[in-house]
Parts: sequence; structure tokens; C-alpha cells
Amino acid sequence: MNSNAIQLEKLTVRAGRKTILAIDNLSIDRGELVGLLGPNGAGKTTLLRCLLGLQKHARGRVQVLGKDIKTLGARGLGLLRRRIGYVPQLLPSHSEMPLTVREVVAIGRTGIAGLFHPLRKRDWEIVDEWIERLGLSSLAAHGYTQISGGQQRKTLIARAMVQQPEVLILDEPTANLDMGWRERIVEIISEFYQLGNLTILLVCHELEVLPSCCNRIAIIDSGELVADGSPGDVLSEEMIRSLYGLGFDLLAGNGRYVVVPSEVAHA
Amino acid sequence: MLDLVFWAPVMIGGLLAGGSCGLLSVYIVGMRIPFLGVCVAHAALAGAVFGALAGLEGQMLLLPALGGAVVTATLLGLADPRKINMDANVVMGLLFSVTMGLAFVGFGLFSVLGKSDNDVRSLLWGSLNYCQWNDVTLMLIAFGLLVIFVLVFRKEMRAIMFSRLDAQAVGIHATAVWTVFLILAAMLITVNFQTVGGLMIYSLITNPAAAAFQLTKGNTRTMVLATILGAASGLGGFLLSAITDLPSGAVIVLVSSLVVMVAAVWARLQKR
Repeated sequence: MNSNAIQLEKLTVRAGRKTILAIDNLSIDRGELVGLLGPNGAGKTTLLRCLLGLQKHARGRVQVLGKDIKTLGARGLGLLRRRIGYVPQLLPSHSEMPLTVREVVAIGRTGIAGLFHPLRKRDWEIVDEWIERLGLSSLAAHGYTQISGGQQRKTLIARAMVQQPEVLILDEPTANLDMGWRERIVEIISEFYQLGNLTILLVCHELEVLPSCCNRIAIIDSGELVADGSPGDVLSEEMIRSLYGLGFDLLAGNGRYVVVPSEVAHA
Repeated sequence: MLDLVFWAPVMIGGLLAGGSCGLLSVYIVGMRIPFLGVCVAHAALAGAVFGALAGLEGQMLLLPALGGAVVTATLLGLADPRKINMDANVVMGLLFSVTMGLAFVGFGLFSVLGKSDNDVRSLLWGSLNYCQWNDVTLMLIAFGLLVIFVLVFRKEMRAIMFSRLDAQAVGIHATAVWTVFLILAAMLITVNFQTVGGLMIYSLITNPAAAAFQLTKGNTRTMVLATILGAASGLGGFLLSAITDLPSGAVIVLVSSLVVMVAAVWARLQKR
């Protein structure tokens, strides 16, 4: 069995004539937790969408769980997506429908159950199990739009986990959350990593979102992979300044990292 | 003495039109695409106008109307907003303007050709004269098809309503299911618009859900409540129209709008 969960080779994605993503080589092993960093507009979300087959690539090969995305038809793509848990960057807001938290989590089982098959008792048991594991039991019957941003994010994480995925893709899972919620999400990601059989690709802006168990970081800037390695090798003040500009310092401790304005670091 | 020959199809037609549009409204409002009603109704109207120009009349006008509505719905379904970089409402606005333009060019051609446009003009406002047993049968078939669709694809539609992109990401064939839904919606709107009215059906595919969303939460409960509120609006509107001899579509609009207002006040009082 191929030990790579994700493999990109000479990947090029274009928007019109402009190349927005060009990655020569990137592979992620099964069971690995990789942090994907980069400034706004670097191409992180585009990369994630390529992995899900939601964004077509012009050239190269995108292989996920041994499947070449470009060769898959609609059915094959659907089957592959059911093995990938995806937590989007933006909280969906296209619906007026007052769906409950339990119903939103159950969306994760919908593709797996398949067309013409209702969700079975076992599907609902899995849904309730993850609602409980993520501490959402008391909110299960609440309307999704009536709960806080952090709780909504947890709901989407539960939705991804009920798929019992082999790959979990988290696109800025702590965006717009306060520090308390951010730490709770980081703890949850660490717990998922302890499961051992889950490949996690975590996209984030803030280094403090990376859990201490994250032992590999890939950095994208202007659509190109500019660094890939252990946090100790990749994260340097030079790198941070080249990405985000002068005036920032990098602090590290117990396997966690944080970027702060220089004036704070030197106060 | 109640004239059952007239009243029975009117009452059942009102229940079916209201109930089916009420159920449909959950998806229309859930997806924030209330414009679908006017868009598809005008496409159907354009089809009917050109059908009439070609010499069709009576029930036969339903065929070109259905054709126009289904073609428009299919185009809408296949137009993935993300891929064409255009919001669904903008696509609908575009199709609406084209179909409206076609319909009114067609109306202009009636006078150019010296023909009467009375048959198709009444489609704009709806008329109880159209509500006869064969119309009720068509309404029943359309409602039945919608109920079957909801039972079979409820979980997929729930996901699509939440987010079409997310539905695709979890492995749901969102475009296929969505396109089938839109075609079904087009059929239902076309079958109902000759009694409710092309312009007025807009309210019946938005108001029941707008009221139900105020009063309850959860997919199943909302759908059941919207169907009941739609049926009550349809029946109430048709009966009032028959009693007062006012246009059925206009009366249904007022009744269903009243239901939304009452629901909004009730919801506000409950929160106190």
C-alpha cells in the first residue's frame, strides 16, 4: 500500500492566464500532521481545493489516498471525497434553513450513506458519538445559526469526523475565534493526531494554532512552496519576516510557536 | 346551496397549490433563491405565449410553458455559481430578464399578427376558471412527485441547503440532485401558475417557509409546517377569491403575507 496520503508532483493551477499555484513536489505520509502556512493569497485554500477535486489544475499530478484526482470521474471523486474530512475556512452562510447542530453534523454521513439510502441507526449513533466527544451534546437540538462561532466551528469539525476520514483537512479552523476557543480547537487537533491513523493537513495563519505534536511545516508564498521541514528547521525569524514583513519576532516554547510584534518581544 | 361542481376542485386545488408550493418554499427560502419563482414563471409564460402564437390553446399551452420552465431550470442547475463566478441570484436575474423580454415580445406579436392574447394574459394573474378537475389532477401529480423527491433526497437537499460547496466536499452529487430539484420545481410552478398566477406564485413559494422558519427549527418539522401553512394560505386564498370574485393570485398573496406577519409577531412574543 502506498504510504503517501497526499502527493503533489509538478502541480500548476491557473486562474485565467495567471499561475496561482506552482508546487514542484510535496508528499505527506499517512498518519502525519502537517501545518501549511503562508500569508493571505498565498494559495493555501486553492491547494486544499485541488486535493478535494473542487479546483481543477492545469498541469501536474495530485494524488490523494492513492487516487489521481485528474483521472477520476464524478463517481470516483465522490467516493474519494467521502474519505476526506474537510473543515472549510468560511462558516457556511448560504442557508436560511434553521438546521439543528445534529442535522449539520449528520451531513458528514450523507455522502457515505449514498443516494437513495436514508441515514441508518448506525449513522445516527456515529453522529451522536462525535457530538458527545466534541462536547456539543447540550447544543444538539439548537439551531446551527443560534450558537457561537466557536461552537459552529466545533460542529463542522464533528461533521468532518463523522465521515471517519483517512485525511482531515482543516482550513484555518480557528479563524475569528478568541484565544480560549483557539486553544480548545488546538487540543482537539492534538487528540485527533493521537488517534494515529489520521492524516491531518492544518492550514493556518497563526503559528500558535499549530499543536506541539505538529512535527512538519510547509510554507507557501505567492503560490510556491518555499519551505518544508520540521518546525525547528523551517521557522526562523528570517522566514517570518520574509513572509509577513519586518517588525515581527518568533517566540518558541514546549513545541509551540508564536509570532509577536518586535516591540512586544523586546519590551 | 354550495355548488360542489365549482367549489370542490377550487378547494382541493387551493390545498394542493398551497401545500406543494409551501413544501417547495422550504428549499427556495432555505437556499435564498426566492427569485426562482418569478424567473421560472416568466420562462413558462414565454413558452405559453409562443405556444399560443403557434396556434395552441387551452391545456395544450401547458406543454410549451413546461418546456420553457424546464429549459430555464436546467440552465440554472448546471450553472455552478463557483465555476462561473456568479451568484445564483445574478444568474436568475439574467435568465429572468431574457424570459421576460421574450414573453413581452411575444405579447407584442399578438397585436402585430392581429390575434387575441386573452388566454395567455390571464396566466399572469391567475384565474379560478382554470381550476377544474384535470388541473387538480396535474397539481396532484406535481405534488406527488415533489413529495417522492423530498423523501428520497431529503438528506442530500439538507446538505445542499447548508452549503452546495460543502455538500460536494463530503461526496454528494450536488449538481445532479440540485438540477433534478430545479426541474421538479419548474414543473410544479408551471402547473400551478395558471391558477395562482405567474406573478403571484412568487409569494406562495416564499411566504410559507418564511413563516415556518420563524416558528420552528429542524428540517422535518419546518417542511411539515411550511406545507400546512402553504395549504392553509392556498385554500383560504382560493375560497376568499371565489366568495369575493377578486383575482385568486392577489388574494393568496395577501393571505400568505398575513400568515408571515402573524408568525413573526408570534415568534417575537415567544422570545419575551
